Amino acid sequence: MHTPAPIKVKKRPFLSAAFVRAMLAGHSALGLAFAALIYVVCLSGALAVFVQEFARWEQPDGPMVEATPAPEVIAAMLRAGYARAQAEGVAHDIYLSGPLRSPGRMQVHYDDHEKGIEGEWLADAQGQLAVPITAPWADFIGALHMQLHLPRTWGMYLVGLTGVALFSSLISGLLSHPRIFKDAFMLRRGGSLRLQEADLHNRLGVWGLPFHVVVSVTGALLGLSSLIVGVLALAAYDGDRGKAVAALFGPPPTNDSTPAPVPDIGAMILQVQASQPQAEFASAFVQHIGTAGQITQLGMHLPGRIAFSQAYRFGADGKMISAANAHEGRVGQWILTALQPLHFGWFAGIAGKLLYGALGLALAVVTHTGVTIWLARRRDKGRPAPGWEKTWAVVGWSQPLGIATTALAAVLAAGVPLIAVYLLTIAAAAGVAIVASDARATVRVLRLLSALVFVAAAGVHVAAWRTVAVDQMAWIVDVALVIAALVIAAPLLVRHRQVGLAEPTQAH
Amino acid sequence: MPTDIVSALLTLAGAVLMVSGLLIVRSAWAQRGRQPVRTLCGWCLLVVGIACATFAWGEPGLIAALAAFSVIAFVIVAMGAEYRPVRAANGRELAAEPDERPTNWTRAIAKSLLAIVLAGVAAVGIGIAFAVAAPLDAADRTIIGGLLVPMLWGAGMAWTLCDAKLVRATALLLVVSACAYGIAFLPKMLSS
Repeated sequence: MHTPAPIKVKKRPFLSAAFVRAMLAGHSALGLAFAALIYVVCLSGALAVFVQEFARWEQPDGPMVEATPAPEVIAAMLRAGYARAQAEGVAHDIYLSGPLRSPGRMQVHYDDHEKGIEGEWLADAQGQLAVPITAPWADFIGALHMQLHLPRTWGMYLVGLTGVALFSSLISGLLSHPRIFKDAFMLRRGGSLRLQEADLHNRLGVWGLPFHVVVSVTGALLGLSSLIVGVLALAAYDGDRGKAVAALFGPPPTNDSTPAPVPDIGAMILQVQASQPQAEFASAFVQHIGTAGQITQLGMHLPGRIAFSQAYRFGADGKMISAANAHEGRVGQWILTALQPLHFGWFAGIAGKLLYGALGLALAVVTHTGVTIWLARRRDKGRPAPGWEKTWAVVGWSQPLGIATTALAAVLAAGVPLIAVYLLTIAAAAGVAIVASDARATVRVLRLLSALVFVAAAGVHVAAWRTVAVDQMAWIVDVALVIAALVIAAPLLVRHRQVGLAEPTQAH
Repeated sequence: MPTDIVSALLTLAGAVLMVSGLLIVRSAWAQRGRQPVRTLCGWCLLVVGIACATFAWGEPGLIAALAAFSVIAFVIVAMGAEYRPVRAANGRELAAEPDERPTNWTRAIAKSLLAIVLAGVAAVGIGIAFAVAAPLDAADRTIIGGLLVPMLWGAGMAWTLCDAKLVRATALLLVVSACAYGIAFLPKMLSS
């Protein structure tokens, strides 16, 4: 008797082809709409991870304080900061940070938000103010990432919305990837440009997913927090934002301007350490300083915690109002204190920063290749868009160039408006694209210029600081700039060899 | 917390376990047919590696290990890169194509409003409703409600952009918004 051969039932895919196509359509639309914004925010974010190191690079002659000093030194720093703020007539709020919060440095920041005046100083190991902080390039990178140099509120909203769009792209990207496991380790270089870029896009996107999700959600929340608090205040606090904020951070200072002694922050640190011997000073924020309405928020870091610090609040009489351990085990408190370290990677020293920097760059590459895939698909289908190819080349490669030119400008001359340098660089990059024959030529020129300017920035910095720098971070960042230049320029040489073998048909 | 030397050894062990785990997963997935045991072994080694870093450094160790997991995976993927001669596209090896949908400016603007504005309004509404009405401590429900906003907004954006039917997405988002803002604002309106 003839036994019929078993019929092989074709396994139904987990995601149907129609669903994948619909998701891809949404992914493409969203990606194209937000690509430039996401790219700028991600690239500047990868650099913003190192913003404290860049600040040290810009001012390597500032006093170094490696270990957290004794409580009396921190108390002396607060008194010195208060005296300075009083002399400038802006003694309203004062923020102190120790080496745990600002590595290698002790910093004092004072401001009077009503007058719109502020000042920032570095303190020495005795707690005395040594020199005003000048870090225009680090400030430029930070503001580019957090508000795109737009007015603060609107800039933060736009960056928050960009975070939402990025998170949305991650969802649609993941759901439009039916071969996620099968292709998990596949990386094909050469071949068709579209396939090569798609492999890079998918591998960096999928394996970096935990990081991508965390930074997009935390970034969106940080950017949109003021909007969310505003609506929450309308719903639950009669429109009073102060009450909504107080629900999270505790009672605000009062407006009782009766003079009062400056808080004895040394005693406060000792009081916390009496119950938490491992707690170490990270920061302090004194609002309405020198008045009977003042509130001191002491930030003490606990080992093994991701949070910068746990907050302890003290009233004008020096008595503790609320202790961090009262919120121990509360999920909301954990999220609140972990948001910033999780977003910026400031929780595991330089190793954590390097990991975050690499992953931030990977996310920028994912964004960049997303548009490149779309452009290559158009070309494959016989509908090339050379204008858009050039435009995307400018968007992609004007950013490293802009970062390099602003670094060079900051080193060359104090007081140069870096935002103007940045915008002029982008305009010049657009000019290169107009003159260049195609997108590929545009990329080559912009890569070469970026590499040269990075090397120039490092060279000028070494020449300017070689005899006076005391902070080794100066030379580390200089070396990093040269490495960045080599990485940017290297593909020019490799590609030159490849072109000799076979010229790809698609423009990049 | 363990001593510095123990922490360093645990970190090293964690890194070795994570690399080994990912290499085992790669070799399992490179085989024809399923390799569930090998795959499971690989993932177990990864989890143990992450646990080592967490035991050594606490929360920072956990997050750093997760970040290191991604970077190690990138390196392993890059090590296995396959180089081919540069040539034109071959239709057979290309990935899935997105839907070719007929569109115009009106539809594009409507979709944008739906994905950015209405999905945002609905997400903020749900977040605020949670912050007002969830049976949790005030700070906890406020922060969790806030965290829900970008996640729901992103999910709503992804869904509205992939759904070809504008009316369906609009109707659902309007209903969700109405319910969410009702929960958020009704108690206050009723009490005043």
